[in-house]
Amino acid sequence: MYIDTLFSIFALIAIAGSLGLVLFRHPMQSALCLAVTMISLAGIYALLSAKLIFLLQLIVYAGAVMAMIVFIIMFLNLREKDLPEERERFTYLIGGAVLLIPVAWFMIKVMKSIPGVKNSIVGNGFGSIKELGQVLFTNWLVPFEIISLLLLVTLVGAVVLAGIRRESND
Amino acid sequence: MAAKVKQLPSRGGTPAEKVYLIEIFKGMAITLKHFLRNLWDNSNLYVRHYPEVQPDIPARWRGRHRLLTHPDGTPKCVACFMCQTNCPADCIMIKAGTRIDGVTEKMPVSFTIDLAECIYCGYCVEACPEDAIRMDTGIYAFTSSNREEMKIGMTEMLSLKGGFPEEEYQKGLEGE
Amino acid sequence: MTNLDIIMVIVRVSISAFVPLCFLAVCVTMERRVAGFIQDRSGPNRAGICGIRAGGLVQNLADGLKLAFKEDIISEHVEHKFLYVLAPIISMAAAIISFALVPFADTLVLDGKSYVMQGIPWDTGILWFLAITGFSVYGIILAGWSSTNKYSLLGALRSASQVISYEIPMGLAVISLLIVYGSINLSDIARFQGQTWLGFIPMWGILLQPLAAVIFIVAAFAECNRTPFDLAEGESELVAGFHLEYSAMKFAVFFMGEYVAMFASSAVIVTLFFGGYNIPFFDTDFLIRNIKPVAFVLLVILPVFMFYFAKWIRRNNRSQYLRENDPRKAEATIYIRCFWILIAIIEVFLLAILAFAQPDTAAAHLLVALMQICTFLIKVTLMLFVYVWVRWTIPRFRYDQLQMLGWQKLLPLALLNIFVTGAIVVALG
Ligand code: SF4
Ligand code: SF4
Repeated sequence: MYIDTLFSIFALIAIAGSLGLVLFRHPMQSALCLAVTMISLAGIYALLSAKLIFLLQLIVYAGAVMAMIVFIIMFLNLREKDLPEERERFTYLIGGAVLLIPVAWFMIKVMKSIPGVKNSIVGNGFGSIKELGQVLFTNWLVPFEIISLLLLVTLVGAVVLAGIRRESND
Repeated sequence: MAAKVKQLPSRGGTPAEKVYLIEIFKGMAITLKHFLRNLWDNSNLYVRHYPEVQPDIPARWRGRHRLLTHPDGTPKCVACFMCQTNCPADCIMIKAGTRIDGVTEKMPVSFTIDLAECIYCGYCVEACPEDAIRMDTGIYAFTSSNREEMKIGMTEMLSLKGGFPEEEYQKGLEGE
Repeated sequence: MTNLDIIMVIVRVSISAFVPLCFLAVCVTMERRVAGFIQDRSGPNRAGICGIRAGGLVQNLADGLKLAFKEDIISEHVEHKFLYVLAPIISMAAAIISFALVPFADTLVLDGKSYVMQGIPWDTGILWFLAITGFSVYGIILAGWSSTNKYSLLGALRSASQVISYEIPMGLAVISLLIVYGSINLSDIARFQGQTWLGFIPMWGILLQPLAAVIFIVAAFAECNRTPFDLAEGESELVAGFHLEYSAMKFAVFFMGEYVAMFASSAVIVTLFFGGYNIPFFDTDFLIRNIKPVAFVLLVILPVFMFYFAKWIRRNNRSQYLRENDPRKAEATIYIRCFWILIAIIEVFLLAILAFAQPDTAAAHLLVALMQICTFLIKVTLMLFVYVWVRWTIPRFRYDQLQMLGWQKLLPLALLNIFVTGAIVVALG
């Protein structure tokens, strides 16, 4: 019961946050709404007793990624007068929403057709760091390494691109 | 005279200094020494407990102004406006009048200094040809809650006495 | 939930929420008086209530009152008023919550039930701290940005990029620690450090992982925006940095947030590297089993300590100039009496324990927990002293030097440390 209430609260905040993301005009406000959504998603992870995912969501998404985005928006220092005029944004919004209706209907259908899983207490240590680490480094070692390779490639790419820019500036 | 140039050896090149932490710890040891000494006995502090313990004011100290008088109590000032012209802060306001007792031709009718604007440079004292104004009262603290009170007038300045014996004041002037 | 459970929840939450706030007074007083003593002056020692000045503590009260009654201005040019007001709240809240998972005593066993002595009894310890300190960036960014002021914006830019970049060496330093401790739970980490090595060297983090300790402490200084990394408020160039536009209580909240963050990070440093709540050489079991000798030793030590403390108060609490019937001497007498009364009360309790308590009873557990809380707070106070001490010793870095230190020195060192630690741990099995 009390889990359900918490879930609804988090879900509502998440939805409100994403609505704010779309509806606010100023990028800073939108970004902060997104941060709110991220944090309430973390809350939902915590309800699922996925501790590590909860913390990673807080550290990586709510903490690092969103902080970077907000930081960059601050860096650009946009003021009300710098924003473009969007006269027809509500038309677009409503049009987009209407277009999404079939997709949503389809999703609801899919959700309903999933066989109901009985609520049960998950095993001790589920979602904790030790268990997750063990699974990650035994069963899923190869995908894990491939992903880290991908990240490395991005990293090197970023450095190389930054280097090229500097040369052409000289 | 050639400018004195002192060459200091440039620091920070040796590997031990490059690590930086060692030097930080050395610095911290020094501050800790001071801290512990003062914590152990706070009479070691280099502090004057001000309102109770007053500082020693030397005779050359430029304190509040006073106007000097002849032995008969009349002002020495001849209203020559030297001080007013010289004042970099423009805070002396003199009104001149004729002097009737025949000692000199002119004397000030009013003589006001706005102490809120005065910068205590002492130029007025140096400019005065009659030694009529001095800053030797030794008063260094005056406050008030409004601007008007910071303006002192002639009667007040005439009534102030010098804070030091005459010889000491003259000795102080010799250095200049 | 029994009554005891509820009481323990209240006790734990209030300790972890109010102790940082109460330590504000200690921090601020310490900052000023230590600064004074380091520079051979005395710091605030005049403000007093009926002549009682409590070593400068009353000055805090005066300043707090001043800030509370000042006019709270939100300038006309502030466009996003909500975000402007939100910023100090985020700073303060993040600072307080980040302390919630730090254990301040060993697990307390009462009536056969064990209570983890943390604000939130959760086992994700250090990651929580990293996550929440990450949030304090929002406070800084929002404050600087919504002030619509160039100085604030520049201060926020510096401060935020500094916090973001120093989070990386900090996290990496933590990883090598976790390899050694084998747990991210701060309670486990603290318990691990209760062991001794060869019987006499406590296994503290600073001895096991000196490099990680240096990196973590440096990064923690940067995270708290303290000197030598307080470029964000470089007075000479930026006036005051991101909180320039804030006045009265909103400024006070920023200020308090800063000190609470300092408290929380010293608490984490103490837990990770200096044995946490552990009393060196005596682990919890030993203390509980030998509660009577421990109580006896305390019983003897406290009055002796108090005797010398009273002497110190007498020596330092007198007027440094000639004065008839020196009122500060009377003041010192009052302080000494208060302390003696306190000591007497503690002595009575200790006597009761000595007379009645058996080892391994609730009283023994409680006494040990209290001793550990005191040890923890003393250690944290010492760490806070280090913060203050460093601030009044080392000049500020230049901004490029700061980023250079973070990315080119601390980051590779932290990575190297992880590899070396991992290799050693694997080699030793
Ligand atoms: S001391 Fe200087 S500023 Fe003051 S009245 Fe004399 S000349 Fe003017
Ligand atoms: S005080 Fe001296 S300089 Fe000033 S008007 Fe009088 S005589 Fe002249």
